[in-house]
Amino acid sequence: MDEEPAIELSALTKTYGAVVGVERLSLTVSSGEVFGFLGPNGAGKTTTLRCLVGLLRPTGGSVKVLGLDPITDHGRVAPHLGYLPGELRFYPELTGAQTLDLLSALQGAPAPARGDLCARLGLTDEVLARPVSGYSRGMKQKLGLVQAMQHDPKLLVLDEPTEGLDPLVQETFYALLLDMAAAGRTVLLSSHVLPEVQRTCGRVAIVREGRLVTVESVAGLREARARRIRLAFADGLGSRPLGAAERWAPRWHGNRVELLVPPSEVVGALRGLLGPAVVDVTVEEAGLDEAFLDLYRTGGREEEP
Amino acid sequence: MRSRWPLLWLALYRRRRMLVALLLGMVAFEALIVVVAGALAPQELFSAGGKGPPGAYQAFSGSSGSVSIASYPGLLGAGLTHPFWIAMQLTAIGSLAAAAVAADVESGTVELVMVRPVSRARLLAERTAALMLAALALNLAATLTVAAGVALSPDVHRAVPIGGVFAAGVMGLGFALCLIGPAMAVSAAGRRRAQVIGATIAIGAVGFAVNFIALAWSPAAPLRFLSPFHYYTPGDALAEGGILWPQLGILVGAGALGTLLAHVLLRRRDLAP
Repeated sequence: MDEEPAIELSALTKTYGAVVGVERLSLTVSSGEVFGFLGPNGAGKTTTLRCLVGLLRPTGGSVKVLGLDPITDHGRVAPHLGYLPGELRFYPELTGAQTLDLLSALQGAPAPARGDLCARLGLTDEVLARPVSGYSRGMKQKLGLVQAMQHDPKLLVLDEPTEGLDPLVQETFYALLLDMAAAGRTVLLSSHVLPEVQRTCGRVAIVREGRLVTVESVAGLREARARRIRLAFADGLGSRPLGAAERWAPRWHGNRVELLVPPSEVVGALRGLLGPAVVDVTVEEAGLDEAFLDLYRTGGREEEP
Repeated sequence: MRSRWPLLWLALYRRRRMLVALLLGMVAFEALIVVVAGALAPQELFSAGGKGPPGAYQAFSGSSGSVSIASYPGLLGAGLTHPFWIAMQLTAIGSLAAAAVAADVESGTVELVMVRPVSRARLLAERTAALMLAALALNLAATLTVAAGVALSPDVHRAVPIGGVFAAGVMGLGFALCLIGPAMAVSAAGRRRAQVIGATIAIGAVGFAVNFIALAWSPAAPLRFLSPFHYYTPGDALAEGGILWPQLGILVGAGALGTLLAHVLLRRRDLAP
């Protein structure tokens, strides 16, 4: 494994006039790492990825990809780069095969992995002989994956790679990612699908409104995620004030209430909540989705001055 | 898709039907002009009322000098400055210039192309070359059609040397280059194909109107220097039998400046939808 990071963002800022796309985002991805980039729509994921591949010029900060500037050293970075755009568009009048040939010609390198990728993703010769304009969303996404990986790049940047793929093809995609990782390739995967990141990535960065919320290992994110406390009351009074526990935004369903509480505060919360009217209590780990949302609700705010 | 200059061939391949239609249209139109010129003594056009054509009609004969539309060079020159001829040139230039950068940005295909080891200079060079090839094909079609017509009509041939026809063709290519440069600059900075097509049409149409007004109305005469039609004078080339080098130099120079500007603009911009 190379010692130099595959990706190094330092205070990356990108603005579009008054609109902030990304603000002071710093991040390092090691060579050989499969790294997740999580955030909701409009969080700045695509902007960051476009800065990485040299399509956008940063307004501030610096970007290094494979140790080089992706804009000024584009000619040296691009041969080692595979990129799947989030808003995938092809030339509609070209066939699938012509599209792959064109992009391979522009890459200026052979496409040793094309045959295997097409076979695994179910892009037959018959499908590839048809114009892309007749492809379904899923078929276009498969073609997008092939064009990104066909030249066996050192660094693969994927923006929402499983959009439009059916579950079976998603399984194939995960297997392909595992193969890439086993071959020592670096993968940066942007997604808003948490189980996908949980399954494929070692570490994950979470962004919100253009800012980095946290960088965690997936295991660490799981451990730090909130606990869901459920209480049932027997007095039939329904919702009521819960004192200090109100800060965890309790959700009432008749005589039952549910709260998401940080792990370190569960015991304290239970001390305050348990009273004579409580007839049932359960405490369980929140799902990763909820942990993610929890970070969105609280993590970013805590960083603000 | 060809592995050498793929962006050039892609541009031509995607517009192949339009280009074939324009070539056929150009051949048919110029053939019609030559047939009309050969069938009619041009002096008869304006002699019935005892008056010659107004001076501003030089705008329609492709002359900034003394070539009247009521002459064979003037009539053939009119076929090379006719709004139909202009429209065909503008269609080819506007469409291919729009496809050079702006249309790829608008549709998002630029993301697939420009993450490859393709420099921005190469993108512009291949797309400009595609435009020049299309312009060359259109002007060659017009020139060969007119040359064939002149060769087959002794009356016309006496007034118009074949060398003049080819000189007019070269001037036509110069005119196209003059529009290609600015159109590429708009494409290099633009995000929508409509911006490029609109700007190309505006340059062509406004240029023609300015030249006509400058010839028709003496207070506006200095404005003619701003119009490409002041320098694109196929009527003069047809009459004189040779290329008008200063005018051609200005047309090509304006095109080169536009292309240089396109390089500067493209180097600085973001390339994402």
